[in-house]
Amino acid sequence: MIDFKNVVMEYPNGTVALKGISLHIEDGEFVFIVGHSGAGKTTLTKLLLCEEKPTSGHLIVGNYDLSRIPNYKIPHYRRELGVVFQDFRLLPNKTVYENVAFAMQIVGTPARKIRRRVPAILNTVNLSDKHNSFPEEISGGEQQRVALARALANNPKVIVADEPTGNIDPEMSLEIMNLLLKINKLGKTVIVVTHEKELVDYYQQRVIMIKDGVIAEDRVGGMYE
Amino acid sequence: MKSFRPFYFLIEALKSLKRNGVMTLASVAVLMSCLIVIGGFSLLVYNIDVNLEQFGEMNKIAVFCQFDASEDEISGLKKTIEQLDNVKEVVRHTKEERLKTFQEEHVDAYGDITSEENPLSDSLEITYKSTDTQKISNLTYELEKLKGEGQIRKISNRYTLSKKIDNFKNTVMMIFIWFLAILLVVSVFIIVNTIKLALVSRKREIGIMRYIGATKWFITLPFIIEGMLIGLVAGTLAFFIIKIVYNTVVVRSFNVATFISIAKFSSIEPVMVIGFLLIGVVTGVVGSFISLVKYLNT
Ligand SMILES: Nc1ncnc2c1ncn2[C@@H]1O[C@H](COP(=O)(O)OP(=O)(O)O)[C@@H](O)[C@H]1O
Ligand SMILES: [Mg+2]
Repeated sequence: MIDFKNVVMEYPNGTVALKGISLHIEDGEFVFIVGHSGAGKTTLTKLLLCEEKPTSGHLIVGNYDLSRIPNYKIPHYRRELGVVFQDFRLLPNKTVYENVAFAMQIVGTPARKIRRRVPAILNTVNLSDKHNSFPEEISGGEQQRVALARALANNPKVIVADEPTGNIDPEMSLEIMNLLLKINKLGKTVIVVTHEKELVDYYQQRVIMIKDGVIAEDRVGGMYE
Repeated sequence: MKSFRPFYFLIEALKSLKRNGVMTLASVAVLMSCLIVIGGFSLLVYNIDVNLEQFGEMNKIAVFCQFDASEDEISGLKKTIEQLDNVKEVVRHTKEERLKTFQEEHVDAYGDITSEENPLSDSLEITYKSTDTQKISNLTYELEKLKGEGQIRKISNRYTLSKKIDNFKNTVMMIFIWFLAILLVVSVFIIVNTIKLALVSRKREIGIMRYIGATKWFITLPFIIEGMLIGLVAGTLAFFIIKIVYNTVVVRSFNVATFISIAKFSSIEPVMVIGFLLIGVVTGVVGSFISLVKYLNT
């Protein structure tokens, strides 16, 4: 469960990116967050990632109150969250397999479990044949699928994707979206930030539209302008 | 943390040291030079102490008997001196005793000398009551008279000399402390920059690690180990360089000058090993922590 209550986010330079957001997302929901550039979408994901703390208001994700979470708990909170960025953020000197395994290593997963789980996840994102490729040897769509696999590696409850198809060919975008939907069907809460109207219209899911830091619309179905 | 893997951290640290090879070398070199200077000064001060000890305490005069003095002559001389003005106590050191002390404390110059070949003579150690200059020079005058009569071979009045040596030692200590402070600051500065460089070259990786939920210790431990390794390597190298230079150059060239006794390296060796490694590691870790402040606070 994700709960925003009157969340305000003001950056140190005085920009108020979010001006009182109230929003409730149930476990297992699939949500699109849309809006023009500069509307505050990325700021919203930063709050979810605990990269920033709300200036005022309450933000609760599962058992964590992110508006007052102590720093030492942040890493543990983040393990319950899978993140995908527009620019993939893979490690260029590690193979596809190693990139996914790395996520498990750094939270202290035993090697035996890593060896069992990584191939299974790579299979989920249809990358079984690319284990030993390096990021620069595969397409953007494939890189994003590796990022998705990495996000899934530690079996998080929530997946947050900030413009996951922003750097990908349209045909590949559809595949990424299909995967995100598939992941949602597996029981995870999925939040996708995008401004690709066609995709949003096509999938007919809950759409939250942000405009100048406030929620302009929250409805099920496509069609956003 | 579900499982602790020390090798992960060590390997990451080693990789990073290799990646920033030049800075690593610079850090090790500077810290090593710093330790060599520390070691050099320590040895100098230690040797001054050893020599001062040999000269005895400051309110003392040593008198050396003739090589062929008989038992009666020596005890007679002792009685005569005890009756002089300003004499508190006279202690006799036999030549056997003195040889033994020499052999224990100093470089093996006297190593294989048997008691028959003993080149030393008996000595009388005079402790005087007052350090008043006039009284000391009166006493010295009386002793010189005895020397003129042939009862004494040599007088060693160490009051002024030991004062001079002590002053010299204090000056050396002052210079040493300043040098030490400056060099340690420079070492920490260079290590801080090495670790910062390592951080920059792994910025992307660190960012990703944070998103995935790595704890700050997991992220920073390799860098702390990196600082520690720099310290360990610098400490070890400095120790061996000091040891070799001391045992070859210093001991050999001063062995000729027998009026100065050179301390055995082995008598200061354990302190130096522990000291070097400790200073090295502490400096390295302090450097790491300073460069990691930003990461440890968030
Ligand atoms: N680090 C920052 N410091 C100051 N202002 C920022 C920062 N990041 C974003 N902003 C501002 O906050 C507003 C919302 O930005 P953002 O959340 O990135 O929008 P979106 O992702 O919807 O394009 C914009 O006006 C942007 O300039
Ligand atoms: Mg954005």
